[in-house]
Amino acid sequence: MKKLRVFLAQLSTKLGDVKGNEEKILEALEAAKREKVNLLVTPELSTLGYGSGDIYLDKVNENLESLERIKERVDDLYSIIGYVEKDNYGFFYNSACLINKKSIIGNYRKVQLVNYRLFDEKRYFKRGAKLPVFDIGDIKIGILICEDVWFPEPSRAMALRGADLIVVLGASPFERFKKEVWENFLIQRARDNILPFVFCNQAGCQDGVNYLGYSMYVSAAGKIVKTGKLLEEDYVVVEVDLEESRRLRRRDTRLRELRREILEELLRAYDEMEDDRA
Amino acid sequence: MIELEFKKEELPLVEKAICNSIRERVEKFNFNGAIINLSGGVDSSLVTKLTSLAIGNKKTYALILPEEGLTPEKDIEDAIKLCKDLNINYEIIPINSPLKAFEISLVNVEGDREWGITNLKPRVRMIYAYFYANAKKLLVVGTSNKTELLLGYGTKYGDLAADIYPIGDLYKTQVWQLAEYVNIPTDIVKKKPSAGLWKGQTDEEEIGYTYFQIDRVLFCLVELELSVRETAEFLNISEDAVNDLYERIVKNEHKRRTPTITKISRMCLDKDWRYPVERF
Repeated sequence: MKKLRVFLAQLSTKLGDVKGNEEKILEALEAAKREKVNLLVTPELSTLGYGSGDIYLDKVNENLESLERIKERVDDLYSIIGYVEKDNYGFFYNSACLINKKSIIGNYRKVQLVNYRLFDEKRYFKRGAKLPVFDIGDIKIGILICEDVWFPEPSRAMALRGADLIVVLGASPFERFKKEVWENFLIQRARDNILPFVFCNQAGCQDGVNYLGYSMYVSAAGKIVKTGKLLEEDYVVVEVDLEESRRLRRRDTRLRELRREILEELLRAYDEMEDDRA
Repeated sequence: MIELEFKKEELPLVEKAICNSIRERVEKFNFNGAIINLSGGVDSSLVTKLTSLAIGNKKTYALILPEEGLTPEKDIEDAIKLCKDLNINYEIIPINSPLKAFEISLVNVEGDREWGITNLKPRVRMIYAYFYANAKKLLVVGTSNKTELLLGYGTKYGDLAADIYPIGDLYKTQVWQLAEYVNIPTDIVKKKPSAGLWKGQTDEEEIGYTYFQIDRVLFCLVELELSVRETAEFLNISEDAVNDLYERIVKNEHKRRTPTITKISRMCLDKDWRYPVERF
């Protein structure tokens, strides 16, 4: 059976604590090497930390220098690190990069920035607009960041591009019933696409906001296979079954029955909605 | 669907989230500990217990600040018993003499002196808390809950003066539940809530509704984001009653904010400048 060993580093990173976060990421990297995993995942924006505040405008360069140092420590192990990216225009993105053998071999920019209640990502970041998949040896993975998985479209695009697994980085705060919200979204997306999902979420507490933790592996059948601790730092090692989705797709016709004309109709509907608002 | 009461399985997580936030703040700023003004009521008893769970009994300080002749003996006893049970540091200091000194020096003030003096009491207590905080490098932990904060049921720079509000997102109904869960003595949990500012004062009489009613109305307005009319229909109560509480929420926004700064520059500190308190 084809398996992928994934190390979900459920870290308690802190907004602005680039040095402390780096130590935690490097520690996790060493632990992942000992666990002989194929892939390590950190939470969203793990180098600079997640939270609400203008520190994103102040410490991007520090976070990029930190990423350089982290990169140097990644050998054969594929690693997905959440960080703040800066482009040639000087715009920032809430991004995740895929690192292997000391170099960045893939990069993903969060497409659905969160800007309600306590969140103000649009104050700092530009939205991504690409939904690629990346090769890890002979398998394909898609990377999503937090809110991206609350929408059906991003993971659907990656499924169409042949993803074998979707990896989700999160920094989702704890609040009442949030645990169930995440279970439901991940199960729903797994079922939509008949694909396994792994979710690595931030833990710890800062400024009265606790982060949920509760990293998770949901199988292609939509079953929760393993979860991390709530609110606390945790290392969650999971064995992802990469064959189940193909097995299920023999009889589960949903993905293969997706029709171009329906997608076109969806776009037309979208355009009508936009026109209506004008 | 009003999900005001915590389900059993939520309580350990709520406790943990609150303890984490207290611990993080104490550690981030290298405080030697934390101090709570303990009245013997359910809010301050709960906060005292959670603080002691979060940072340990040796770092937890309680101030018992009765007004002799007014504060019920039972409250003082309950507070002392709690401190002994938790094995935390505590002091008992009656506030009568500073209160007297203020009263004497303000004797010639025209207007509603009585209301001024009523609010002096929590403000004198605040002075003690911050004196201890300065002297011993302690964090002042506030005891306001969500119901009080929404209604503005607290004295500005009095009992509302604190560094953090660990139970500020819990309605009174939920405070009682959590207090029971962490084994606050039944005597304290079952006590009639009172600010203790005058003889026979109770929260529910002063506000004009029971906490059961208040919390349901607030839950509809704040958590379910219903309008006044929708709330009245939903709970099958008069629109006037709901409006009365809604007006209190609106009128008291200032108590939930730092003082409004008049913007002159590009970077007005209460509007344009946004940084975490626990900043690295």
